[in-house]
Amino acid sequence: MRENLSPGSKLLLVVIFFILYAPIFYLIFYSFNSGGNMINFESFTLDWYRELFHDTRLLIIVLNTLVIALLSALISTIIGVIGALVIRDFRSRQAKNTILSLNNVLIVSPDVIIGASFLILFTMAGIKLGFYSVLLSHIAFSIPIVVLMVLPKLQEMSPTLIDAARDLGASRFDVVTKVILPYITPGIFAGFFMALTYSLDDFAVTFFVTGNGFSTLSVEIYSLARQGISLNINALSALLFVFTLVLVIVYYFITQRNKPSGMGVKR
Amino acid sequence: MQNKFTRNVFFIPYALWIALFVIAPLLLILYYSFFDIEGNFSLINYRKFFTPVYLKMTLSSFWYAFLITLISLLVAYPTAYLLTKTKHKQLWLLLIIVPSWINLLLKAYAFIGIFGTYGVANSFLEVIGIGTQQILFTDFSFIFVSVYIFIPFMILPIFNALDELNPALVYAAKDLGASGWVTFHRVIFPLTIDGVKSGCQVVFIPALSLFMLTRLIAGNRVITLGTAIEQHFLVTQDWGMGSTIAVFLVIIMFLIMLVTGKRKRGV
Amino acid sequence: MTDKTIIRFEHVTKQYDQDSPVLDNVSFEIERGKFYTLLGPSGCGKTTILRLIAGFTEASKGDIFFNGDKINNVPANKRQVNTVFQDYALFPHLNVFENVAFGLRIKKMKNAEVKAKVQEALSFVNLAGYENREIREMSGGQRQRVAIARAIVNEPEVILLDEPLSALDLKLRTEMQYELRELQRRLGITFIFVTHDQEEALAMSDEIFVLNQGKIQQSGTPIDIYDEPINRFVADFIGESNIVDGKMIADYEVEFGGKRFDCVDQGFNPNEPVEIVIRPEDLEITSVERGKLRVRVDSQLFRGVHYEISSYDEDGNEWLVHSTKKATVGEEIGLYFDPEAIHVMRLGETEEEFDKRLESYHDGVSYAK
Repeated sequence: MRENLSPGSKLLLVVIFFILYAPIFYLIFYSFNSGGNMINFESFTLDWYRELFHDTRLLIIVLNTLVIALLSALISTIIGVIGALVIRDFRSRQAKNTILSLNNVLIVSPDVIIGASFLILFTMAGIKLGFYSVLLSHIAFSIPIVVLMVLPKLQEMSPTLIDAARDLGASRFDVVTKVILPYITPGIFAGFFMALTYSLDDFAVTFFVTGNGFSTLSVEIYSLARQGISLNINALSALLFVFTLVLVIVYYFITQRNKPSGMGVKR
Repeated sequence: MQNKFTRNVFFIPYALWIALFVIAPLLLILYYSFFDIEGNFSLINYRKFFTPVYLKMTLSSFWYAFLITLISLLVAYPTAYLLTKTKHKQLWLLLIIVPSWINLLLKAYAFIGIFGTYGVANSFLEVIGIGTQQILFTDFSFIFVSVYIFIPFMILPIFNALDELNPALVYAAKDLGASGWVTFHRVIFPLTIDGVKSGCQVVFIPALSLFMLTRLIAGNRVITLGTAIEQHFLVTQDWGMGSTIAVFLVIIMFLIMLVTGKRKRGV
Repeated sequence: MTDKTIIRFEHVTKQYDQDSPVLDNVSFEIERGKFYTLLGPSGCGKTTILRLIAGFTEASKGDIFFNGDKINNVPANKRQVNTVFQDYALFPHLNVFENVAFGLRIKKMKNAEVKAKVQEALSFVNLAGYENREIREMSGGQRQRVAIARAIVNEPEVILLDEPLSALDLKLRTEMQYELRELQRRLGITFIFVTHDQEEALAMSDEIFVLNQGKIQQSGTPIDIYDEPINRFVADFIGESNIVDGKMIADYEVEFGGKRFDCVDQGFNPNEPVEIVIRPEDLEITSVERGKLRVRVDSQLFRGVHYEISSYDEDGNEWLVHSTKKATVGEEIGLYFDPEAIHVMRLGETEEEFDKRLESYHDGVSYAK
């Protein structure tokens, strides 16, 4: 096929990338506007950032969001990894497929349905809406993602590696800790990372199960945005963008570092 | 024996998760759909769903989701195709995906500023002589922003399908005398149809259930199934009716997954 | 059983679900310090035997003994055998040193001792100095050696090798055949080697077990098996053979291709239908008049060391000839062979009956039923 893209093709790609990134940079650009709106750029200021850092309520919400994200990612990674290990051991194909279909229900379900059904669940179970209901929900919708990130790694692992470890005297516990877990570490990292971003990004599910006293960043931005423009949000989005970029770069390097894992006969 | 036992112990958390957060919520939604707003058992919700008001809403929700999916596909396919032709294609792909990791709410918020009466879009229209228009709170803005949000999810599976396509097949088609267009619609497109299908699946189902955008961008002009569910659960507190709509949404979701389900063919 | 025996299979059957058995009522003994080869086509059950010895799978029926103790229920990690896998199964997250040290670390051996042993094992396979390499930095042949070092460092009594050379290219494979044989001699422990490559089996083994469809067809030294194949399968599988139908007229006289020939076989019923094997290298090209068989040359291939000539006799039997002399396609030639070159196979004979009959030759006693 062609080695170089035609000018028209290049233009199309440029337009796509422009449209994808313009709104984000637009937000960031106006976060430095002393004018107080997203229309006329008056002069450069860091006031909005300063205001942001003095807004204790918002800072607490940011902290809540981070705590929820880290905790839910951690717990869902643990449960998901164990789940994947057990699924791998399933002998019967049918049982395996059934479990996998159930696993994927929450991934394909629209957020609204997850949110609404969890709301019913927590209400019936008598769990007060707030930190715990949000945490439980985030753990719940992150588990299948972790399983999906870990399972392919487990499946690509040659079964002879386990035979080899057993052959060399490893107990079943040794096999898991000394061979399987080190092998699937990249998958575990990827799963943890995805769980983290899903949790940080989630709006709809949280919106349903958050109740009155507790809020996460997404929910907060939603209520602020419904009231109209406030450049605090711009400043916040700039910070979040930088944070996301850092995460992306970290993730990129983790996956790059783990990529050339030569194994078995692969030459 | 002991191994089986420990294995079962390890399976408990994951099994509990499936029971409590996958199966129970679906059953609860079904259960609640049989109760009217007073909490009496009845089929009134289902009767209501088949009245013109709800059927019209369902149809329009489908129509918008269809438009969003179609436009996303029309933009995403060429983009994905061109991306596979670039050098460092994985890096470019990553750059396409990064915006999808920026909080959804922030992107919606950016468009409130851009499409606002005095926003960039209108300044641009002013400059080219069309004059200020009402952009925000129209069908156009809703579809545009939705497509903007879903584009990376559509590009990713199509890119992967194109990337896996064996280039020798394209050469073979050309060698056998096929023109560029014939090669595309007889060879490339059929072989990447699975990517297109999963792209449509990950766009269409969420597009049916969007509710946050309908409020922020479409100003309640568009009511999707998702908006209706949110309305019933969180505003009118009619959980029964909300659950009924959710039941239909789940059914539709399963039907779509059946249609777009992957059927692996040869090779 | 003698104390030379280290592994013994007694009527072992391995069957998955309702499928036909992968291993069908197999019994054999393995002696200490010898190089054994399990040879057969894929799916013949050779790898299953290895997995049964290693403990990766359990026998459906029958017993397996190790040093006289029944080991059917001993888990793999408690058995004194180590395996070299076909794909090497080196741990990609560990370097060369840690791969070799894996078994020692499991045994909680002291660091200094681990170091000494690993270095010894690595120098045994000519990999001294490669301790800190990552597995992905090693070539196929080097990985092979790491896998061997990882097995021998544990000082097992038996080493199992599952087609370990199949991933190597031809030249390296031949080199490794010598090295493995040499290694086995130096270590003096039992090697059980699985392969589907008959040349490899002939070159390396003290004893070969030829397997097909879950049964041991024949066992013996490479020379025995090559010279005296028990049936069509073995004759065909080990080397190239001309196999034709014939009739045993009387002792030392056999008929095939419409003619009678002298031979060295005996102990058959008069006029018993048999199969005749003559190896292509035992056939000599000569003039039509001098030849015992008259054939027409059909095609000819130059194989480097010799010409491979395909020809047909008047009955339509194909005769493959390996000759340093060239023939002309389409021409009639004569084929000459010695009486010793004819090997007569009784149809459907078991290995025991076969052995008995062979022994009777040496006793010089006629053994007609």
